[in-house]
Amino acid sequence: MDIKEIQNLIKFVAKSGASEVKLEMDDIKITIKTGSDDKGEATTIVQQIPMAQTPVAQPAAVAAAEVVASTPVAPAASNEDSKYVTIKSPIIGTFYRKPSPDKPVFVEVGSTIKEGDVLCVIEAMKLFNEIESEISGKIVKVLVDDASPVEFDQPLFLVDPS
Amino acid sequence: MHIIKLNAIDSTNTYLRQLSASKAIEDFTVVVAKHQTKGRGQMGTQWNVQDAKNLTMSVFKDITGVDVERNFYISIAVSLAVFEALKSLNVEKLSIKWPNDILSENKKIAGILIENVIKQNRLQASIIGIGINVNQTEFENLPKASSLQLMSGRFFELDEIMITVLQKLEYFFELLQNNSFSTLKAQYEEHLFRKNKPSTFKDMEGDMFSGYIKGVSNSGNLQVLLEDEIIKEFDLKEITLLY
Repeated sequence: MDIKEIQNLIKFVAKSGASEVKLEMDDIKITIKTGSDDKGEATTIVQQIPMAQTPVAQPAAVAAAEVVASTPVAPAASNEDSKYVTIKSPIIGTFYRKPSPDKPVFVEVGSTIKEGDVLCVIEAMKLFNEIESEISGKIVKVLVDDASPVEFDQPLFLVDPS
Repeated sequence: MHIIKLNAIDSTNTYLRQLSASKAIEDFTVVVAKHQTKGRGQMGTQWNVQDAKNLTMSVFKDITGVDVERNFYISIAVSLAVFEALKSLNVEKLSIKWPNDILSENKKIAGILIENVIKQNRLQASIIGIGINVNQTEFENLPKASSLQLMSGRFFELDEIMITVLQKLEYFFELLQNNSFSTLKAQYEEHLFRKNKPSTFKDMEGDMFSGYIKGVSNSGNLQVLLEDEIIKEFDLKEITLLY
Protein backbone atom coordinates (compact mmCIF):
# COMPACT_ATOMS: atom_id res chain seq x y z
CA MET A 1 0.00 0.00 0.00
CA ASP A 2 1.52 3.30 -1.00
CA ILE A 3 1.00 6.78 0.38
CA LYS A 4 -1.54 7.61 -2.33
CA GLU A 5 -3.72 4.68 -1.39
CA ILE A 6 -3.54 5.57 2.27
CA GLN A 7 -4.53 9.14 1.47
CA ASN A 8 -7.51 7.95 -0.52
CA LEU A 9 -8.50 5.63 2.27
CA ILE A 10 -8.38 8.47 4.79
CA LYS A 11 -10.55 10.63 2.58
CA PHE A 12 -13.01 7.84 2.09
CA VAL A 13 -13.32 7.13 5.79
CA ALA A 14 -13.65 10.83 6.61
CA LYS A 15 -16.46 11.14 4.09
CA SER A 16 -18.24 7.94 5.05
CA GLY A 17 -19.08 9.29 8.48
CA ALA A 18 -17.57 6.25 10.22
CA SER A 19 -15.80 7.19 13.43
CA GLU A 20 -13.18 4.46 13.31
CA VAL A 21 -11.87 1.99 10.75
CA LYS A 22 -9.23 -0.65 11.33
CA LEU A 23 -7.55 -2.51 8.53
CA GLU A 24 -4.99 -5.27 8.62
CA MET A 25 -3.14 -6.37 5.53
CA ASP A 26 -0.07 -8.45 4.84
CA ASP A 27 2.50 -5.95 5.90
CA ILE A 28 0.51 -3.12 7.32
CA LYS A 29 -2.06 -2.30 9.95
CA ILE A 30 -4.01 0.93 9.77
CA THR A 31 -6.37 2.56 12.22
CA ILE A 32 -8.22 5.65 11.06
CA LYS A 33 -10.15 7.65 13.61
CA THR A 34 -12.28 10.64 12.76
CA GLY A 35 -13.35 13.20 15.33
CA SER A 36 -17.06 13.06 16.14
CA ASP A 37 -18.08 16.54 14.99
CA ASP A 38 -15.12 17.79 13.07
CA LYS A 39 -15.05 18.87 9.45
CA GLY A 40 -13.66 15.77 7.92
CA GLU A 41 -10.25 15.74 9.52
CA ALA A 42 -9.02 12.30 10.20
CA THR A 43 -6.44 10.96 12.56
CA THR A 44 -4.48 8.09 11.15
CA ILE A 45 -2.29 5.61 12.88
CA VAL A 46 -0.21 3.56 10.52
CA GLN A 47 1.53 0.70 12.11
CA GLN A 48 4.12 -1.41 10.36
CA ILE A 49 3.73 -5.05 11.20
CA PRO A 50 6.98 -6.97 11.61
CA MET A 51 7.83 -8.94 8.47
CA ALA A 52 8.01 -12.20 10.38
CA GLN A 53 4.36 -12.12 11.24
CA THR A 54 2.12 -14.62 9.50
CA PRO A 55 -0.05 -13.08 6.83
CA VAL A 56 -3.47 -12.13 8.13
CA ALA A 57 -6.66 -13.73 6.96
CA GLN A 58 -7.69 -13.14 3.36
CA PRO A 59 -11.06 -11.46 3.94
CA ALA A 60 -9.42 -8.40 5.48
CA ALA A 61 -7.26 -7.88 2.44
CA VAL A 62 -10.23 -8.25 0.10
CA ALA A 63 -12.17 -5.72 2.12
CA ALA A 64 -9.31 -3.29 1.92
CA ALA A 65 -9.03 -3.67 -1.82
CA GLU A 66 -12.72 -2.94 -2.20
CA VAL A 67 -12.49 0.12 -0.04
CA VAL A 68 -9.72 1.55 -2.14
CA ALA A 69 -11.46 0.68 -5.37
CA SER A 70 -14.66 2.48 -4.41
CA THR A 71 -12.95 5.63 -3.22
CA PRO A 72 -15.31 8.37 -4.37
CA VAL A 73 -12.65 10.93 -5.14
CA ALA A 74 -11.25 10.93 -8.67
CA PRO A 75 -13.02 8.18 -10.54
CA ALA A 76 -10.44 8.48 -13.31
CA ALA A 77 -7.79 7.87 -10.66
CA SER A 78 -5.57 10.50 -12.16
CA ASN A 79 -2.99 11.69 -9.71
CA GLU A 80 -4.07 15.30 -10.15
CA ASP A 81 -7.69 14.73 -9.22
CA SER A 82 -7.08 12.70 -6.10
CA LYS A 83 -6.23 15.72 -4.02
CA TYR A 84 -9.59 17.26 -4.83
CA VAL A 85 -12.80 16.90 -2.87
CA THR A 86 -15.98 15.93 -4.66
CA ILE A 87 -19.17 17.67 -3.61
CA LYS A 88 -22.15 15.44 -4.21
CA SER A 89 -25.88 15.91 -4.41
CA PRO A 90 -27.67 15.11 -1.15
CA ILE A 91 -30.99 14.64 -2.95
CA ILE A 92 -32.65 13.80 -6.27
CA GLY A 93 -33.75 16.87 -8.17
CA THR A 94 -32.88 19.49 -10.73
CA PHE A 95 -29.53 21.21 -10.45
CA TYR A 96 -29.45 24.99 -10.80
CA ARG A 97 -26.31 27.10 -10.84
CA LYS A 98 -28.13 30.40 -10.44
CA PRO A 99 -30.57 31.68 -7.81
CA SER A 100 -32.85 32.80 -10.69
CA PRO A 101 -32.47 32.90 -14.48
CA ASP A 102 -31.50 36.59 -14.58
CA LYS A 103 -28.87 36.29 -11.83
CA PRO A 104 -25.21 35.32 -12.10
CA VAL A 105 -24.07 31.79 -11.22
CA PHE A 106 -23.29 31.03 -7.58
CA VAL A 107 -19.83 29.69 -8.43
CA GLU A 108 -17.76 28.93 -11.49
CA VAL A 109 -14.43 27.27 -12.18
CA GLY A 110 -11.77 29.23 -10.33
CA SER A 111 -14.18 30.67 -7.75
CA THR A 112 -12.80 30.76 -4.25
CA ILE A 113 -15.33 29.37 -1.81
CA LYS A 114 -15.49 29.19 1.94
CA GLU A 115 -17.48 27.02 4.27
CA GLY A 116 -21.15 28.02 4.24
CA ASP A 117 -21.13 29.56 0.76
CA VAL A 118 -24.06 28.55 -1.42
CA LEU A 119 -22.83 26.44 -4.36
CA CYS A 120 -26.07 25.61 -6.15
CA VAL A 121 -29.78 25.05 -5.77
CA ILE A 122 -31.36 21.63 -6.20
CA GLU A 123 -35.07 21.79 -6.80
CA ALA A 124 -37.29 18.87 -5.96
CA MET A 125 -41.07 19.06 -5.97
CA LYS A 126 -40.96 22.85 -5.84
CA LEU A 127 -38.72 22.76 -2.80
CA PHE A 128 -35.66 24.85 -3.52
CA ASN A 129 -32.69 23.47 -1.66
CA GLU A 130 -29.64 25.65 -1.38
CA ILE A 131 -26.52 23.52 -1.04
CA GLU A 132 -23.90 25.07 1.20
CA SER A 133 -20.24 24.19 1.06
CA GLU A 134 -18.72 22.22 3.90
CA ILE A 135 -15.20 23.17 2.94
CA SER A 136 -13.12 26.10 1.83
CA GLY A 137 -11.15 26.02 -1.38
CA LYS A 138 -11.33 26.62 -5.07
CA ILE A 139 -13.79 25.23 -7.63
CA VAL A 140 -11.83 23.08 -10.09
CA LYS A 141 -14.69 21.58 -12.08
CA VAL A 142 -18.43 21.94 -12.40
CA LEU A 143 -19.58 18.44 -13.27
CA VAL A 144 -23.25 19.04 -14.09
CA ASP A 145 -24.91 21.41 -16.55
CA ASP A 146 -27.33 24.05 -15.37
CA ALA A 147 -30.97 22.92 -15.15
CA SER A 148 -30.22 19.22 -15.58
CA PRO A 149 -31.52 16.39 -13.41
CA VAL A 150 -29.24 14.95 -10.72
CA GLU A 151 -29.35 11.72 -8.79
CA PHE A 152 -28.69 11.19 -5.11
CA ASP A 153 -24.93 11.15 -4.47
CA GLN A 154 -24.09 12.34 -7.98
CA PRO A 155 -20.85 14.37 -8.03
CA LEU A 156 -21.56 18.07 -8.64
CA PHE A 157 -18.31 19.93 -8.08
CA LEU A 158 -14.64 19.20 -7.75
CA VAL A 159 -12.98 21.42 -5.15
CA ASP A 160 -9.32 21.99 -4.42
CA PRO A 161 -9.41 22.29 -0.63
CA SER A 162 -7.38 25.03 0.97
CA MET B 1 -41.80 34.87 17.92
CA HIS B 2 -40.10 37.75 16.20
CA ILE B 3 -42.09 39.64 13.56
CA ILE B 4 -40.39 42.09 11.22
CA LYS B 5 -42.74 44.40 9.33
CA LEU B 6 -41.44 46.15 6.25
CA ASN B 7 -43.06 48.77 4.11
CA ALA B 8 -41.52 47.63 0.87
CA ILE B 9 -39.16 44.87 -0.19
CA ASP B 10 -38.47 43.05 -3.44
CA SER B 11 -38.78 39.61 -1.89
CA THR B 12 -39.44 38.69 1.73
CA ASN B 13 -37.77 35.31 1.18
CA THR B 14 -34.54 36.88 -0.08
CA TYR B 15 -34.56 39.39 2.77
CA LEU B 16 -35.01 36.66 5.38
CA ARG B 17 -32.40 34.40 3.78
CA GLN B 18 -29.84 37.19 3.85
CA LEU B 19 -30.77 38.05 7.43
CA SER B 20 -30.35 34.42 8.50
CA ALA B 21 -26.97 34.23 6.77
CA SER B 22 -25.73 37.39 8.49
CA LYS B 23 -26.64 36.39 12.04
CA ALA B 24 -28.31 33.73 14.13
CA ILE B 25 -32.03 34.36 14.11
CA GLU B 26 -34.85 33.05 16.24
CA ASP B 27 -36.95 30.12 15.11
CA PHE B 28 -40.20 31.35 13.53
CA THR B 29 -38.81 34.78 12.73
CA VAL B 30 -41.34 36.33 10.37
CA VAL B 31 -40.97 38.99 7.69
CA VAL B 32 -44.08 40.64 6.28
CA ALA B 33 -44.14 43.34 3.65
CA LYS B 34 -46.87 45.84 2.91
CA HIS B 35 -45.64 46.26 -0.62
CA GLN B 36 -43.52 43.97 -2.70
CA THR B 37 -41.65 46.28 -5.03
CA LYS B 38 -41.97 43.69 -7.77
CA GLY B 39 -45.59 44.76 -7.89
CA ARG B 40 -44.59 48.11 -9.34
CA GLY B 41 -45.34 48.94 -12.93
CA GLN B 42 -42.77 49.47 -15.63
CA MET B 43 -40.81 52.69 -16.14
CA GLY B 44 -41.30 53.68 -12.52
CA THR B 45 -45.05 53.95 -12.64
CA GLN B 46 -46.56 52.97 -9.36
CA TRP B 47 -49.50 50.66 -9.48
CA ASN B 48 -50.02 49.80 -5.89
CA VAL B 49 -50.97 53.19 -4.46
CA GLN B 50 -53.29 51.77 -1.86
CA ASP B 51 -52.21 49.79 1.13
CA ALA B 52 -51.35 46.22 0.26
CA LYS B 53 -54.34 44.03 -0.25
CA ASN B 54 -52.54 40.72 -0.09
CA LEU B 55 -50.48 38.97 2.51
CA THR B 56 -46.87 38.22 1.64
CA MET B 57 -44.87 36.71 4.45
CA SER B 58 -41.76 34.63 4.97
CA VAL B 59 -41.02 32.49 7.97
CA PHE B 60 -37.64 31.22 9.16
CA LYS B 61 -37.86 27.69 10.49
CA ASP B 62 -35.08 25.68 12.06
CA ILE B 63 -35.41 22.18 10.57
CA THR B 64 -32.28 20.53 11.88
CA GLY B 65 -33.26 16.99 12.78
CA VAL B 66 -35.61 16.58 9.82
CA ASP B 67 -34.17 13.87 7.58
CA VAL B 68 -33.28 15.10 4.11
CA GLU B 69 -35.26 12.15 2.74
CA ARG B 70 -38.32 13.68 4.37
CA ASN B 71 -37.89 16.90 2.43
CA PHE B 72 -41.37 16.78 0.95
CA TYR B 73 -42.94 16.64 4.39
CA ILE B 74 -41.93 20.28 4.86
CA SER B 75 -44.11 21.06 1.87
CA ILE B 76 -46.89 18.95 3.36
CA ALA B 77 -46.69 20.68 6.75
CA VAL B 78 -46.77 24.16 5.22
CA SER B 79 -49.61 23.32 2.83
CA LEU B 80 -51.67 21.96 5.71
CA ALA B 81 -50.91 25.01 7.86
CA VAL B 82 -52.16 27.42 5.19
CA PHE B 83 -55.14 25.19 4.43
CA GLU B 84 -56.19 24.91 8.07
CA ALA B 85 -55.62 28.62 8.73
CA LEU B 86 -57.93 29.58 5.86
CA LYS B 87 -60.45 26.96 6.92
CA SER B 88 -60.58 28.42 10.43
CA LEU B 89 -61.27 31.80 8.82
CA ASN B 90 -64.31 30.23 7.16
CA VAL B 91 -63.01 30.20 3.61
CA GLU B 92 -65.01 27.54 1.81
CA LYS B 93 -64.33 24.73 -0.65
CA LEU B 94 -60.63 24.61 0.10
CA SER B 95 -58.25 22.07 -1.33
CA ILE B 96 -54.53 21.53 -1.80
CA LYS B 97 -53.45 21.27 -5.41
CA TRP B 98 -50.38 19.07 -5.65
CA PRO B 99 -47.75 19.87 -4.67
CA ASN B 100 -48.53 23.04 -2.72
CA ASP B 101 -51.07 25.46 -4.10
CA ILE B 102 -54.13 26.28 -2.05
CA LEU B 103 -57.38 26.52 -3.98
CA SER B 104 -60.87 27.63 -3.16
CA GLU B 105 -63.24 25.87 -5.49
CA ASN B 106 -60.92 25.69 -8.51
CA LYS B 107 -59.16 29.03 -8.13
CA LYS B 108 -55.74 29.56 -6.64
CA ILE B 109 -55.84 31.80 -3.57
CA ALA B 110 -52.50 31.02 -1.97
CA GLY B 111 -49.04 29.97 -3.08
CA ILE B 112 -46.04 28.64 -1.23
CA LEU B 113 -42.34 28.91 -1.98
CA ILE B 114 -40.00 26.94 0.23
CA GLU B 115 -36.24 27.38 0.19
CA ASN B 116 -34.18 25.02 2.28
CA VAL B 117 -30.59 25.30 3.34
CA ILE B 118 -28.64 22.04 3.20
CA LYS B 119 -25.21 21.66 4.67
CA GLN B 120 -23.19 18.49 5.14
CA ASN B 121 -26.11 16.58 3.62
CA ARG B 122 -28.38 17.75 6.40
CA LEU B 123 -31.31 20.11 6.37
CA GLN B 124 -30.54 23.21 8.37
CA ALA B 125 -33.23 25.80 7.89
CA SER B 126 -36.24 26.49 5.79
CA ILE B 127 -37.33 29.87 4.48
CA ILE B 128 -41.05 29.52 3.96
CA GLY B 129 -42.64 32.08 1.69
CA ILE B 130 -46.42 32.28 1.75
CA GLY B 131 -48.50 34.52 -0.47
CA ILE B 132 -52.24 34.78 0.07
CA ASN B 133 -54.57 36.76 -2.15
CA VAL B 134 -56.72 38.47 0.45
CA ASN B 135 -58.63 41.62 -0.48
CA GLN B 136 -57.67 41.97 -4.12
CA THR B 137 -60.76 41.85 -6.32
CA GLU B 138 -59.39 42.26 -9.84
CA PHE B 139 -57.35 39.53 -11.51
CA GLU B 140 -56.97 40.63 -15.06
CA ASN B 141 -55.82 37.85 -17.41
CA LEU B 142 -55.57 35.43 -14.50
CA PRO B 143 -58.70 33.31 -14.85
CA LYS B 144 -57.48 30.73 -12.33
CA ALA B 145 -56.67 33.20 -9.56
CA SER B 146 -58.96 34.54 -6.89
CA SER B 147 -58.89 35.99 -3.39
CA LEU B 148 -60.42 35.39 0.00
CA GLN B 149 -62.66 38.42 -0.45
CA LEU B 150 -63.88 37.31 -3.87
CA MET B 151 -64.60 33.81 -2.67
CA SER B 152 -66.29 34.74 0.60
CA GLY B 153 -67.62 38.25 -0.04
CA ARG B 154 -66.08 39.90 3.01
CA PHE B 155 -63.06 41.95 3.99
CA PHE B 156 -60.18 40.29 5.88
CA GLU B 157 -57.59 41.77 8.25
CA LEU B 158 -54.10 40.79 7.06
CA ASP B 159 -52.72 40.55 10.61
CA GLU B 160 -55.42 38.15 11.67
CA ILE B 161 -54.60 35.84 8.77
CA MET B 162 -50.87 36.09 9.47
CA ILE B 163 -51.27 35.16 13.15
CA THR B 164 -53.58 32.27 12.27
CA VAL B 165 -51.11 30.94 9.68
CA LEU B 166 -48.26 31.14 12.20
CA GLN B 167 -50.21 29.24 14.83
CA LYS B 168 -50.97 26.49 12.32
CA LEU B 169 -47.34 26.40 11.17
CA GLU B 170 -46.24 25.84 14.76
CA TYR B 171 -48.75 23.03 15.10
CA PHE B 172 -47.80 21.22 11.90
CA PHE B 173 -44.05 21.64 12.37
CA GLU B 174 -44.43 20.08 15.78
CA LEU B 175 -46.04 17.08 14.11
CA LEU B 176 -43.16 17.00 11.62
CA GLN B 177 -40.50 17.20 14.30
CA ASN B 178 -42.24 14.45 16.25
CA ASN B 179 -41.98 12.27 13.11
CA SER B 180 -45.76 12.05 12.72
CA PHE B 181 -45.32 11.37 9.02
CA SER B 182 -48.36 9.16 8.48
CA THR B 183 -50.66 11.68 10.18
CA LEU B 184 -49.29 14.48 8.00
CA LYS B 185 -49.56 12.48 4.80
CA ALA B 186 -53.07 11.24 5.55
CA GLN B 187 -54.30 14.79 6.20
CA TYR B 188 -52.57 16.13 3.11
CA GLU B 189 -54.03 13.42 0.90
CA GLU B 190 -57.48 13.97 2.40
CA HIS B 191 -57.45 17.56 1.11
CA LEU B 192 -55.91 16.92 -2.30
CA PHE B 193 -57.61 18.72 -5.17
CA ARG B 194 -59.51 16.29 -7.43
CA LYS B 195 -58.66 13.27 -5.33
CA ASN B 196 -60.59 10.19 -6.49
CA LYS B 197 -62.27 12.17 -9.24
CA PRO B 198 -61.85 11.37 -12.92
CA SER B 199 -59.27 13.88 -14.13
CA THR B 200 -57.33 14.68 -17.25
CA PHE B 201 -53.57 15.08 -17.30
CA LYS B 202 -50.97 16.07 -19.80
CA ASP B 203 -47.62 14.29 -20.00
CA MET B 204 -44.23 15.68 -21.00
CA GLU B 205 -44.90 15.12 -24.71
CA GLY B 206 -48.15 17.05 -24.45
CA ASP B 207 -50.31 13.93 -24.78
CA MET B 208 -53.44 13.77 -22.68
CA PHE B 209 -54.56 10.88 -20.54
CA SER B 210 -57.05 10.35 -17.76
CA GLY B 211 -56.82 8.91 -14.30
CA TYR B 212 -57.67 9.34 -10.64
CA ILE B 213 -55.42 11.08 -8.11
CA LYS B 214 -54.93 8.64 -5.24
CA GLY B 215 -52.21 10.19 -3.12
CA VAL B 216 -48.54 11.05 -2.92
CA SER B 217 -45.38 9.04 -2.30
CA ASN B 218 -42.96 9.86 0.51
CA SER B 219 -40.78 11.75 -1.91
CA GLY B 220 -43.76 13.76 -3.15
CA ASN B 221 -44.58 12.02 -6.43
CA LEU B 222 -48.22 12.09 -7.43
CA GLN B 223 -49.89 8.67 -7.48
CA VAL B 224 -52.44 8.36 -10.25
CA LEU B 225 -54.72 5.41 -10.90
CA LEU B 226 -54.71 4.62 -14.60
CA GLU B 227 -56.50 2.02 -16.71
CA ASP B 228 -56.26 -1.63 -15.66
CA GLU B 229 -55.99 -0.69 -11.98
CA ILE B 230 -52.41 0.46 -12.39
CA ILE B 231 -51.16 3.14 -10.03
CA LYS B 232 -48.33 5.12 -11.52
CA GLU B 233 -46.15 7.71 -9.82
CA PHE B 234 -45.35 10.99 -11.50
CA ASP B 235 -42.70 13.57 -10.85
CA LEU B 236 -43.67 17.25 -11.00
CA LYS B 237 -42.16 17.63 -14.47
CA GLU B 238 -43.85 14.56 -15.88
CA ILE B 239 -47.45 15.55 -15.38
CA THR B 240 -49.80 18.53 -15.52
CA LEU B 241 -53.30 18.37 -14.19
CA LEU B 242 -55.84 20.01 -16.48
CA TYR B 243 -58.74 21.68 -14.71
